[in-house]
Amino acid sequence: MNMDRLLFRRPRLRLCGRPLQAVSAGSLLLLLVFFAVACGTGGDGQEDTLTLAAYTTPREVYSQALIPRFQEHWRETTGRNVVFRDSYAGSGAQSRAVVGGFEADVVALSLAPDVDRIARAGLITHDWRAEAFGGMISRSVVVIAVREGNPLQIRDWDDLSRPGLKILTPDPRTSGGAMWNICALYGAALRGKVKGVAGDDPEAAANFLRQVLRNVTVMDKGARESLTNFERGIGDVALTYENEVLVARRADRPMDYVIPTSTLLIENPIAMVDVYVDRHGTRQVTEAFLDFVRSTESQLIFADFGLRPVEPTAAAQVTDRYSTPEDLWTIEYLGGWDRVIETMFAPEGLYPRLSEELLTSNEG
Amino acid sequence: MKADAPTRALPSPDTSRTQGNGSRSIGFFLRTVSSGYLLLLVALPLSAVLWVSLQDGPGTFWEDVTHPVAWAALQLTLVISVVAMVINTLMGTLTAWVLVRYTFPGKTVLNSLVDLPFAVPTLVTGIMLVALYGPQTWIGGHLEAFGISIIFAKPGILLALLMVTYPFVVRAVQPSLEQLDRAQEEAAYTIGANRRQTFRHVVLPEILPAVISGALLTFSRCIGEFGSVVIVAGNIPGRTLTAPVYVYSQIESDLPRSAAAVSVVLLAASILLLFLSGRLQRRPGEGREKPS
Repeated sequence: MNMDRLLFRRPRLRLCGRPLQAVSAGSLLLLLVFFAVACGTGGDGQEDTLTLAAYTTPREVYSQALIPRFQEHWRETTGRNVVFRDSYAGSGAQSRAVVGGFEADVVALSLAPDVDRIARAGLITHDWRAEAFGGMISRSVVVIAVREGNPLQIRDWDDLSRPGLKILTPDPRTSGGAMWNICALYGAALRGKVKGVAGDDPEAAANFLRQVLRNVTVMDKGARESLTNFERGIGDVALTYENEVLVARRADRPMDYVIPTSTLLIENPIAMVDVYVDRHGTRQVTEAFLDFVRSTESQLIFADFGLRPVEPTAAAQVTDRYSTPEDLWTIEYLGGWDRVIETMFAPEGLYPRLSEELLTSNEG
Repeated sequence: MKADAPTRALPSPDTSRTQGNGSRSIGFFLRTVSSGYLLLLVALPLSAVLWVSLQDGPGTFWEDVTHPVAWAALQLTLVISVVAMVINTLMGTLTAWVLVRYTFPGKTVLNSLVDLPFAVPTLVTGIMLVALYGPQTWIGGHLEAFGISIIFAKPGILLALLMVTYPFVVRAVQPSLEQLDRAQEEAAYTIGANRRQTFRHVVLPEILPAVISGALLTFSRCIGEFGSVVIVAGNIPGRTLTAPVYVYSQIESDLPRSAAAVSVVLLAASILLLFLSGRLQRRPGEGREKPS
């Protein structure tokens, strides 16, 4: 048969001559792995299991502080153990994984659209924004990280358009969080808070954004990689979030940062994934966990890791640690995330248009 | 795919011709298992990619591919991959030659070093290169003073690709060199051929299929390389954004169709080269008496 000949033809280019045993051993191993994974699930009545899908920034907050404390709290209040399966990866990747069948009970992500994606897939059936603090769990602001002592005298956004300045920012197409940076630049210009840029003029704001983007020399795929490169000595300034700088400084990695006159308030969401929670029968423990992380005590832990609390009592207690920018605004100023993604990051949006325009100037 | 090239690819022991008489059913079983495995592991996912790329028709496929940023990324990837392939084919063949034909202290160590790029996660390869040649390092800093950037520029991408794909040609050519009949070379010298002529007319025809096979693998690996490139490239559209990194960014931006379309072009480039090499290999062999 023709098909048969096509499939079973002898290979024309062979690499090495002893593939058979290796292949069968390899497939056997693969099968074993499959079985091991398949058998790994299941539990008993004595303990609860909670799966958390989080982005990478709050890894230490959860794994080192909140999870152990909650386990203790849960044992005290119910006498039961709770086992955590916590995973940390890029916000967008986590969101897509949950939509694709990663059965997380709780998602803690970098930005609201990543939770909305899960809601749109029908996995979150309640209005997650109607929860406490608008569904948010932590805050930060977009800042400019500079070298120790600020040798280049960077004071505000307008300094970023200086010709020849080397800027690091993660790529907004791969790092959902990097969208915060782009929005902060554009929004501040639109609000008339960037020196030399006319306010309320989308054309002028876009032009300013183009000038800054021209100075971007490295676009890493994530926020953490970007700041790591900055710490290595690459670039003059890095666009990042206040908490990233605070964590770096706490680990004795010297850098300073500038909070621009006008900047964007970053808000990170947390939500329960109804469909998976009901499938696992973990609604009670999930709700308890969410209440726990929203408590004043937990919120102060977020503050210890450089994030700004959303809970008012905790926020009031740490006001001295954070300076409030003169002009602090939220993503709602630009029309909310849905509109921002459509007008700025969709294929026809402002950001892709600017990168296309910069193609020619980038050549060489 | 057409597969009509000579099957003398490598003079290795022929495992496909199972000896013995009652082995028909075993043979059938093995063929079913391996082709089923191939189908499930390779053919099915690849057809899914093709399917996604064409889901909105050929018009949008074309738009996705010719989008200025995508097009620039594809050009960059293909050009750098060809350069990397050429360099590693020459250097790999040379390495294989040295490892087979010469004895020198430390040869065993060198031989095992060749495989290391496969053992290291490519992400680590990228980080190592940044740590070694980055603008903040001693080497990178001095080069930068002469206006030469390596990391976060095109040379960095090339360097990463060269390192990641180095073993392919070496390991493809080595066995065929080992099995080469030295008597033929000696015969060539006897009838007055010099070293160059002997290599050109006696050695090269024998190892050429292996060289080409290694080169093809190198190219295919290059155009798909992500882990190391995303670290060293800097990923600026039009300058250092390669196609695999672009594909990743499209997926992250919820644009799977565009990601699939660009991937299909990369696949097509690989297949095209495979096809061309099939033709290339046939020519020198044609009409020539195969020595035995």
